[in-house]
Amino acid sequence: MAAINWRTINIDALDPESATNFDLSTLTPAVQPVSTADVQTLSGQIRQLLRGGDSEGALKGALENAPYGADEAGKAIHLATVTEILQNIRQAEMTPILQRMYKSDGGSEMCDTLMKYLYKGMAQGAPTGSESRTNAASGRNITPQATGFTQAGGRNFGGAEGGSQAMSVLLSWHEKLVELAGAGSIVRVMSDRRTV
Amino acid sequence: MLLLDYQNVLIESLLRDRFAPDASPTSIDQVVSDFDNVTFHISTPNTKTQILVSISVKCYPELLKYGAQEILEREYGQYIVEPEQAYNFSVQVDLEKLPESQEERDDLVKRISLLKRNAMAAPFEQAFQEYAQLAEQMRGLTLESAPQGLKEGGEVRAIHYRDEEAIYIKASHDRVTVIFSTVFREETDRVFGKIFLQEFVDARRRAIQNAPQVMFRNDPPLELQGQPGLQSGKGDIGYITFVLFPRHLTPQRQPDVISHIQTFRDYFHYHIKASKAYIHSRMRRRTADFLQVLRRARPEAEEKERKTASGRTFRVQG
Amino acid sequence: MSQSLRPYLSCVRSTLTAALSLSNFASQASERHNVPEIEAASSPEVLLNPLIVSRNQEERVLVEPSINSVRVSIRIKQADEIEHILVHKFTRFLTQRAEAFFILRRKATPGYDISFLITNYHTEEMLKHKLVDFIIQFMEEVDKEISEMKLFAFFAPTTHQNDIEKG
Repeated sequence: MAAINWRTINIDALDPESATNFDLSTLTPAVQPVSTADVQTLSGQIRQLLRGGDSEGALKGALENAPYGADEAGKAIHLATVTEILQNIRQAEMTPILQRMYKSDGGSEMCDTLMKYLYKGMAQGAPTGSESRTNAASGRNITPQATGFTQAGGRNFGGAEGGSQAMSVLLSWHEKLVELAGAGSIVRVMSDRRTV
Repeated sequence: MLLLDYQNVLIESLLRDRFAPDASPTSIDQVVSDFDNVTFHISTPNTKTQILVSISVKCYPELLKYGAQEILEREYGQYIVEPEQAYNFSVQVDLEKLPESQEERDDLVKRISLLKRNAMAAPFEQAFQEYAQLAEQMRGLTLESAPQGLKEGGEVRAIHYRDEEAIYIKASHDRVTVIFSTVFREETDRVFGKIFLQEFVDARRRAIQNAPQVMFRNDPPLELQGQPGLQSGKGDIGYITFVLFPRHLTPQRQPDVISHIQTFRDYFHYHIKASKAYIHSRMRRRTADFLQVLRRARPEAEEKERKTASGRTFRVQG
Repeated sequence: MSQSLRPYLSCVRSTLTAALSLSNFASQASERHNVPEIEAASSPEVLLNPLIVSRNQEERVLVEPSINSVRVSIRIKQADEIEHILVHKFTRFLTQRAEAFFILRRKATPGYDISFLITNYHTEEMLKHKLVDFIIQFMEEVDKEISEMKLFAFFAPTTHQNDIEKG
């Protein structure tokens, strides 16, 4: 027994029966693994549609073929595709497109998928947690007196308006989608283990 | 907005009471503190009619070097007595030999309560005189033809009036530069101070172009090169420079300029603290507002009144 | 209200409304314990996908739902040094009074300025839509408050300078 303090060992983690070790894959519906190359091809096809002026078709295609089984890189490619489509659709066309989509076959699922992409799009550029925080702090540390409350640590200024344009597109899509599909759609985003 | 007085209010009111025609002499023994670690002692050591006012200034030796003695003699002349033990300078007033007229009495009260201001004014007055001399010598000369030493101006007068802070005064032929060094204990104060000083600079640009030029920096300005005991590079010390131009230095303006500049530091720190207090009171009020909003989320317990079969009413418990 | 603030707040509102479906849930790890699962994180099956709503790089809300508790973290806009200090002071002031605020978390999650922790007990005792109202109103007013503080606190230093000039 070396320097390990046995009091700090999380014994739940060692117990295969405990809730900590719950096998999440049992909650996740089986998804087809998709390779990054396939996602690339798909996004190429969808962009083709978009260039042809059929943004509605492009959106449908992108949402119906959401690559649940792809790895992070593949998902990022698809997210970029979806965001591009969304930015290409004018404010006035949003509601009609959503209405038609919602009424069509499997429309409710498509709306849920769209909702997932909206949240994922907004989470983009939001640095995850503490790691980015320390980077910012070392760049410009202006934390006031040492209070022991370090959570409001250093931060870079000036970039506040960055990405606000892209965000406002996503926010108006979100607003329209909630009007149509309701809060249930958001709940399904939270509870669905198939992430985009 | 508050403006600080230059005289010591406590001394002033105390003397005014004693000087009143119908006041009966009493014994006094009071220690009064003023800004910049200055202490006064007012007492009646011998008889109740002789009031002794003594002042202790941390940088008195420096002030003496810059001619404080002459100025104090000019101001207090006949009232000066031997300095009290542990104090630098004393004046004594005999209530039985007060001037006759009310104006003269008021003037005496005023002068004694300005003891600190006058003591600290010495280096300023000296610098202003030096400026006048330099300007006189410079008359008719261009910058190029000026002899060595005239261009650069006089020596830097340093007054270490607080433990870590000092005032530096330097006279040149066309200006007098006054530099304050100031220490910010807290990061918050530093930022507040910076914004406050920024406001000075902006105000000059906006409305009052004739005001002295103000600059703020964290490392010692060039004027102070070679001064002992300078700290630089650390974030908590700052240097504030006032440049007084000839229009501020006319003889009739000089006394007021000296008074204002002396209170600058007190005013500056007062303002930082006032800002903090203001922000704090706002936060308090806003927090109360938020609490009220949150309280609205709690449903009001309904008073349920029920009737029994016989028609009597009762309250549901809990 | 600014043009981009309204959709941002309405998005937060609908997200919170959806996330605040909480039920009583006893701890699976230890008997007779009942802890906010989002904080304990002892069981991955009762945690839901976290959602982020953002207005731009600097302003966003993180909603972390679980079966019996939701953690809401807000990152407040800070354009410069002084706003940073004001936000820090203000959030510190609030967290020191967390007791009175019931749902306020004493420490913000990393990367955010202030956090709320809403458990099923809160939603049982208080009206859910009013709780959402509170958070929305908080977000609205905190921005306003910060910019007002900034404006009013620093407008008067000219007097003294004026005096020297008049000297």
